[in-house]
Amino acid sequence: MTTATGATHTSVFYDGSRQYAAEVGGYLRDGLARGRRGLVMAPPRRVDELRATLGRDADEVTFVEDTIAYEPQWNAYRVLRDFAATAGGARSCVVAEQRLAERIPAEVVDYGRLEAAAGVVFADFDVDLLCPYDAGTLPPHLLDIGLHAHAVVRSNGESLPNSRFEDPFDVLAGLSVVSPPPPEATSIDCSAPTDVAQARRLVRARGAEAGLRPDVVSDITLAVSEVLTNSIMHGESPTLLHLYTEGDTWVCHVHDGGRAPLDPLVGLLPPAEPSDHGYGLWLARQLCTAVDVGTDRSGTHVRLHMRMPRADHTP
Amino acid sequence: MVAAATESYSDRMGPGRQGTTAVLDSLVPGTHLCAFHRDDDEQTRVAATFIGQGLSDGDQLMYVGTDDQVHALLRALPDEVDARSALAVGQLLVTSFADAYGTRRPGDLTTVADGFRAAAELSRTRGFAGLRVAAQMDGLVPLLGSSEEVVRWERMSTGLQREIGVSSVCLYDASRLDEELLDLLAGEHSGFSPQVSPTPQARFLALEHPWGLRISGEVDLANRELLRRMLLARGAVLPQLHVDLTGLAFADVGSVSILRSVAAELPDDGWLVLSGVPDGVRRILAVTGLGHERLRFAS
Repeated sequence: MTTATGATHTSVFYDGSRQYAAEVGGYLRDGLARGRRGLVMAPPRRVDELRATLGRDADEVTFVEDTIAYEPQWNAYRVLRDFAATAGGARSCVVAEQRLAERIPAEVVDYGRLEAAAGVVFADFDVDLLCPYDAGTLPPHLLDIGLHAHAVVRSNGESLPNSRFEDPFDVLAGLSVVSPPPPEATSIDCSAPTDVAQARRLVRARGAEAGLRPDVVSDITLAVSEVLTNSIMHGESPTLLHLYTEGDTWVCHVHDGGRAPLDPLVGLLPPAEPSDHGYGLWLARQLCTAVDVGTDRSGTHVRLHMRMPRADHTP
Repeated sequence: MVAAATESYSDRMGPGRQGTTAVLDSLVPGTHLCAFHRDDDEQTRVAATFIGQGLSDGDQLMYVGTDDQVHALLRALPDEVDARSALAVGQLLVTSFADAYGTRRPGDLTTVADGFRAAAELSRTRGFAGLRVAAQMDGLVPLLGSSEEVVRWERMSTGLQREIGVSSVCLYDASRLDEELLDLLAGEHSGFSPQVSPTPQARFLALEHPWGLRISGEVDLANRELLRRMLLARGAVLPQLHVDLTGLAFADVGSVSILRSVAAELPDDGWLVLSGVPDGVRRILAVTGLGHERLRFAS
């Protein structure tokens, strides 16, 4: 048993496989030697490199490839939470990385939120979370996410305070700017409980027209239903649903009149105990490509993005 | 035609009278409705609409009418309601006016009221959350002897039904009663029962072997409390519940959460087993982790 000390959230910037193996492999070996449990969420290539460098120690580590752990991106929170939940008092050391360069713009924005919030959301979990960034290939705007989201930065096997760390709530506020629906959006009023079934019919029809696969249409239909339900029960009338395409995604945009700012951490984790409510945004993030949440003078906006088929060619 | 027929009676009520047409899919338990038909087809449509909605909402329905009226009703109920099954499991009860109200003028209306209370209680012990009654009332004037007594009866019924939470529609043949009495009768009811009603978003129908219910359609914020009250009513009689979801086209998280919380509150020897579970429900259970040891899947 190790004394609980809460979470650490650390970045490491590597250039090339050799440096990756040294930094990340060393971090895991270190953790395992101190009796910690190991979890790696990473691209297949990095998984192979870690297995090679760890040798037999790799058997003690749980590996989840990024195509599963980050599909969609917020699933990474679920994988991490579920892993921590089975720790039985032991600390966990976790490596979290995905192929960020392949993400579409809506996902990159959401990833910025995911990274900024991680240290706060998991503050009470006994995890040491290391996020490797491929400094050799990633463009500056993606490396920036890593530069500002971590309180600690690791270099040459040493952990140091990150002088460029930014207050997570400032980052989250900056990433919650509301985008109004475009004029060509299809819009319907869904202010009454009986309107939600009508909204589902519209989402199913338009989603199929947009070329989404039937299982994807089912997922977005459920997500829309949950977010509309939240708005009708907790927001302020009127509740509107706008449907439109934006770049690579098909967007279902729920807008109600509630102007009270939302807690930026709401729905990043599910309720700790089974509950009759509190799953809406959690579920939406587990089902959709990306989820924007923001409040301004026009009300509360939740934008549910689904990747359009033409962009859906992730290997 | 249907709307015009309703309007002509509503118009006649004048302002301040209770002459509105009720919305059946959000009927408050204990609502006392009436309908004045001009022919058998109208009578059947009103009865089938009221009874079809009540059965779909999971309540027990009692139809008071002649054999011919019962046969016409069974033909008029939509296939999705499965009238045959509803009769077999006792969710739909049919009875004659004489059996329901007697053949002699009751000495005391409270005796009849006690009979209604007993029927409502019996409904609960048979695993139904509520009782609704559709009754052909042409026999009431001869039975009670005067228009004044009929009006007095209806007034008492309004109070009694509100008290015991039993909704009803009193079906009167307009051709057999004078305008004045129709006006008085309309005034003693909370509104008219419609001849047509939108298709319910979901149907919650009772099952007996195995004990439980089956759900078709879509369950969400608008109707999931019907699911909860029916599960509780069925579970109170026998806490081993089968819920057939074969016809379930959609359920939201709140609805799945109701399945879980009802299962969780069953006694130790109870369980709630789901069959025909659609992918959407499995998806919700997987993502939310809303499972429970007493919430099971049929093998």
